[in-house]
Amino acid sequence: MSLWTGLHFLLSGVLHRSRAEAEMDQELRFHIEAYAEDLSRKGVPREEALRQAQLEFGGVERTKEECRDQQSLRFLEVLFQDLRYAARSLRKAPGFTSVAVLTLALGIGVNTAIFSLVSGLLLRPLPYPNPQQLVSVTGAYPKGAFVAMREQIHTMDGATYSEGHEVNLAGQGEPVRLACTLVSAELLSILGARPELGRTFYPGEDRPGQDNYVILSHALWEKQFASDPSIIGRSIELEGLSREVVGVMPAHFAFPSTKTQLWLPLHNDPRSSVAYWAGDFMPVIGRLHQGSTLQQARMDIRMFQSRVGALFPWPMPANWNANGSVLELQNGMVANMRARLLMLLGAVLLVLLIACANVANLTLSRGVTREKEIALRAALGAGSRRIITQLLTESILLSTMGGLVGLLFAIKGLSLLKTVLPADTPLLPDVRLDWRVLAFTGALAVLTGFVFGLAPALRSSRISLMESLRSGGRGAAASVSHRLRSSLVIAEIAFAVLLVIAAGLLIRSFWAMSHVNPGFHSESILTARITPNESFCSDPARCLAFYRELLSQVQSSPGVSGATLINTLPLGGRLTKRNMDVEDYLGPRDQSSPLFWLNMVTPDYFHVMSISFLAGQPFTEANVSDNPPVAVVSATTARRYWPNQNAVGKHIRLLGDKEWHTVIGVISDVRAYDIQRSEPEWIEGTVYIPYSPNATLEDGRVPAEMTVAMKTTLDESQMGTMLRRVVAVLNQEVPVSEVKTMHTVISEAVSTPASTTSLFVAFAALALILGMIGTYGVLAFLVAKRTQEIGIRVALGAKRRDVLWLVMKEGARFTIAGIALGLSGAFLVTRLLASELYGVSPLDPVTYLGVALLMAVVTLLACYVPTRRAMNVDPLIALRHE
Amino acid sequence: MPLDKQLDLLQGTIDMLILKAVSLGPLHGYGVLLRIQQISQDHLEIQQGSLYPALYRLEHQGWISSEWGESENKRKAKYYHLTAAGKRRLQTETDKWNRMAEVITGILRTTPEDV
Repeated sequence: MSLWTGLHFLLSGVLHRSRAEAEMDQELRFHIEAYAEDLSRKGVPREEALRQAQLEFGGVERTKEECRDQQSLRFLEVLFQDLRYAARSLRKAPGFTSVAVLTLALGIGVNTAIFSLVSGLLLRPLPYPNPQQLVSVTGAYPKGAFVAMREQIHTMDGATYSEGHEVNLAGQGEPVRLACTLVSAELLSILGARPELGRTFYPGEDRPGQDNYVILSHALWEKQFASDPSIIGRSIELEGLSREVVGVMPAHFAFPSTKTQLWLPLHNDPRSSVAYWAGDFMPVIGRLHQGSTLQQARMDIRMFQSRVGALFPWPMPANWNANGSVLELQNGMVANMRARLLMLLGAVLLVLLIACANVANLTLSRGVTREKEIALRAALGAGSRRIITQLLTESILLSTMGGLVGLLFAIKGLSLLKTVLPADTPLLPDVRLDWRVLAFTGALAVLTGFVFGLAPALRSSRISLMESLRSGGRGAAASVSHRLRSSLVIAEIAFAVLLVIAAGLLIRSFWAMSHVNPGFHSESILTARITPNESFCSDPARCLAFYRELLSQVQSSPGVSGATLINTLPLGGRLTKRNMDVEDYLGPRDQSSPLFWLNMVTPDYFHVMSISFLAGQPFTEANVSDNPPVAVVSATTARRYWPNQNAVGKHIRLLGDKEWHTVIGVISDVRAYDIQRSEPEWIEGTVYIPYSPNATLEDGRVPAEMTVAMKTTLDESQMGTMLRRVVAVLNQEVPVSEVKTMHTVISEAVSTPASTTSLFVAFAALALILGMIGTYGVLAFLVAKRTQEIGIRVALGAKRRDVLWLVMKEGARFTIAGIALGLSGAFLVTRLLASELYGVSPLDPVTYLGVALLMAVVTLLACYVPTRRAMNVDPLIALRHE
Repeated sequence: MPLDKQLDLLQGTIDMLILKAVSLGPLHGYGVLLRIQQISQDHLEIQQGSLYPALYRLEHQGWISSEWGESENKRKAKYYHLTAAGKRRLQTETDKWNRMAEVITGILRTTPEDV
């Protein structure tokens, strides 16, 4: 078709639609009349001739409709017509429309919210220039290995960072503790991050003597320095050292996460070989050189990996990082989020399916009452395709409105989600409703309209014309579509069962986690971090005197019945590791000194935390200065190194020390690493030694940062005030931070499972409500349609009990089928949850049985109202209805 | 209309027949019907209902165009005539049809000896 004819049809077809219609009318009339004239010329009487001509021509309206269909712009016209018609018919049924739109909005809304997470975390490119060049190297490397890698790898520029460090900021009012990330000098420039003010680090600024610089986050600059632009070039006092502020990062920059308040250069000092080769094991990221591929980078890393072991000052296990590889940075950053996100997406898709089934059912019920209208349209010449298109247009209009309202829900839901998810989720602040999400929602809405609209539309188009017109809109389609409706409700109940079981399992698992015996009593324990500068403790005597004085003042405060110190509080997210020599222990040849979790405590610790002893006894004040020194080990450690022997009296030694510690006690295991484990897999023992000049870290220092744990009746704010006052008197530069109850510490440790659980519970509740509405809807419809039949039954002597049975039988049928289907579905699917579950099997019979019962009760409740209505049917009124 | 000697119209041939009928001179819809019957000597009959959608389709594709004129008995009627594109179309359709007919006739004439 040429442009001209196209325009011609556009003009005559759309703008002059009425003229085109009139012409078509005239043309067809001419045909019939001319034919009639021919007939009458052959001798047929005039009247008869016209009748015969009309009869032979067939349906004029149908022909017109077919003629209109031949024009390609026709579909637009049809669409507008259908949309107008759909809008009118939806306006006429406000109850149906609002229920359907709301149901769809819920389904589409939760999907949009979860999808925006998926999009922001998994799909959207990282917010850095040329993100496809950014990669992450698997495994973790100490400084020495990283520096070697940076020099030897030629396919990419490498950078490393170490999150979770803290420094004191002094000289700006009250001293504060800040979270910082140590970075290799090139990290920020490799990411391509531009500072808001000043500059990023120059190459070489991570070498000792050249590293006295700091970069601030936008938030910190705002809060502590009142957004003062003259901060660049000024020195601030961090951890007792003065560092020059060289840059401020923009507000949206959050690497590795929003927790980081400032960035300091790594201190890559090869002279302190322990810190250099065994200190922090850090993740490595990189930017591929122009022209290098991921594949080449992988080869490069594999080559490097085969050489790096020999660089260490001590033998490294041959399998260390043996499977080193290179991933795209995005995959590397969100690897552990992926499974959980996809699980959530699966859950909300189920909710949407339930919503679809619900609305399909509503539409079907409406379809039956609209039978007559549709039959009339068919009689007036609408083909079945035409009717299906029209009904689908109506569904899609409905789902589009649902999508729009759903978008509002999604906006609200997303801000809720962000508060529920752990704050250190990478990229979380960047998650928002962008075009990608909008496109998803749009597509979802249209698809949803198809899904719930197709079955009812197909049904309606197949209605037998004659029967419908005759039976006056009550029955013809009812029996067949009843089967469809029941299957929809069964599917709905099954999906709901599936979701509720998933939620149930997570709840049970969460319950098990929260009721696990952590090995200590958290009741009325308050904790706070006391963090002098590291340099303060380079003189151990000064450090210990400070803490001794602090403890004695706290202990004598009103409301405090006990106070103790520990370097790494259980579940506090910190861990101090040290290699230990173990008496009589012959480990594998290349790791004769296993890696321990080293706890340093004051003697009261086990008493204040109510940790029980399996053998031996706790430390006494006298032990602190004892020679030889003493130690306490955990039950697992005692079993591991001295199986079937008494651990008390055995000896253990910090690697590099001369003195052996004598084990004087064995405690029951404490869930210290997370709520499920006392130690991570890579730790091979847990030991406690008194906090004393002998208690040294890998670098030979006595730890400066300690957590004070107090048994007290005070609340957090009272305790905070009291502690700050006491500390300020002893040393003005020591901040007090993280004042919280032990309960809070525990609940923070389970915040990830808590967020997953609460989301699933919300989705399950949604599914349950939608399922209940669906069941109610179908039964209510059933009763309404059978009012007359019930009336007759009652008139013929049926008792109320019989009527009850009649309706309940129907309800019970699809409830049982739905529950059975849901249970078997759950049986197959819940194993996907296994990694999220603790202390409960994915096939936990209690949950399955409980959910089956719950579902039965809920659907029975949904049956209640329709059943009562059926039982109260008055035969006289019901029969007069006809 | 005589029914006994009629042939069923092959699918897709109606367009070709209309183009041919119109190529002999402008016609209104009813005239197209009559002309096809006349030149086929009443062997072919086109369903009256299917004629008009075909006419609209051909016009939409630009192979015929229409204008209002006066009929034999002085009444306003819509006349269709072949466009240049329609002429080419008719030619290719005719060639295609002839080739097809040749092949099919050849096949149907085949005797066991030929194989």
